[in-house]
Amino acid sequence: MNAAATEARVEKAAELPEDAREALKALLLALADSKRVLGLRYSDRMLGAPTLEAGIAASSMAQDEWGHARLTYALLGDFGEEPKALEHERPAAEYRSHPALDAAFGSWADTIAAGLLVDTALAVQYSALVDSRYVPAHNRVQKMLDEERFHFQYAAGWARRMAAVPEVRAELADSLRRYLPQALLWLGDDDAAGTRRLVEEGLVCAGPSALRDRFLARVAPVLAETGLAGEIGLSPTGGYDGALDRSGWDEATRRAGGSLDEGTAARARGDKNRALLLD
Amino acid sequence: MKEPVFEVFARKSRGEPLRHIGFINAETGDLARVYAWKTYDEQNWEEMCVVPRAAILPVDPEESQFVTLLGRDGEQALVHSRGAGSYGGGELAVKEGR
Repeated sequence: MNAAATEARVEKAAELPEDAREALKALLLALADSKRVLGLRYSDRMLGAPTLEAGIAASSMAQDEWGHARLTYALLGDFGEEPKALEHERPAAEYRSHPALDAAFGSWADTIAAGLLVDTALAVQYSALVDSRYVPAHNRVQKMLDEERFHFQYAAGWARRMAAVPEVRAELADSLRRYLPQALLWLGDDDAAGTRRLVEEGLVCAGPSALRDRFLARVAPVLAETGLAGEIGLSPTGGYDGALDRSGWDEATRRAGGSLDEGTAARARGDKNRALLLD
Repeated sequence: MKEPVFEVFARKSRGEPLRHIGFINAETGDLARVYAWKTYDEQNWEEMCVVPRAAILPVDPEESQFVTLLGRDGEQALVHSRGAGSYGGGELAVKEGR
């Protein structure tokens, strides 16, 4: 741990250097927006999942994600933002959600692959805040991670099951192959200025490469059990063999362009019931 | 494919006995854990356990609700390692499940 990271804990964002504060704010907004959109995508599977129990669990996970999103938006109040405005008033183009979630899950295989890879990438990024010296983040993250353990078990259990069913095995492999590089890329770039400041200031306890290692250590054993690891680009030691294309990637938005569509943003904002929203 | 039944037990505080709160269907123990936790989440449980129904040995089979519908071929294989012996509902008259 470097010198800055051993300094006293920080209770207010205003106490942080401006560049580190902006980087942390961008990270929290990306996390909150990703959680909100992931919750929507899970909610689409509340009905029509393969079993009743799987649908009930998807419904519960959708609620978890929206709870995590709300907790994370609330943190941004300390950064000069109005959490309610962030939740209910932004156009789609301002969402910083994970780009892998821009498209709705087209199949059960997509749901499981995104649950295993995208949801886990988000959890791993949150895990970097557990020992943050920014106390409000540190205080909120552990409960979310406790809930995320069940999301991982759910996705892992279904991935194993689907891989064993010949009719859906190839479809699962396709979905995993599509989401894996997006999940890895989203964890960031060690050389990005804001990311470096987050690590230097002890606001996150691990940088992008370390988080990618943590992510792969979590998902690679499951993918190995499915027998699909090699097919989707993982080496026998659990590393990723493919290239991550960073062209056009922006560290603040964690995107290389594109945006959420307005229809999904309208659902995320709760436009239909706006008249009933209380202050 | 038939999904085995897992019975769900939970307690609200450390000193309280585990009590039976329901059941779920799941293919594996891992999914059973998730489904139980996500389905029976109306309480802030101190502890929750899932037990394959086939692993429950009714003392009085005639009175027990824990009689497996799958019989020994289905659930016995899931629950017991080879050579562990046979117990559970496999040899019993199958009752109507819930």
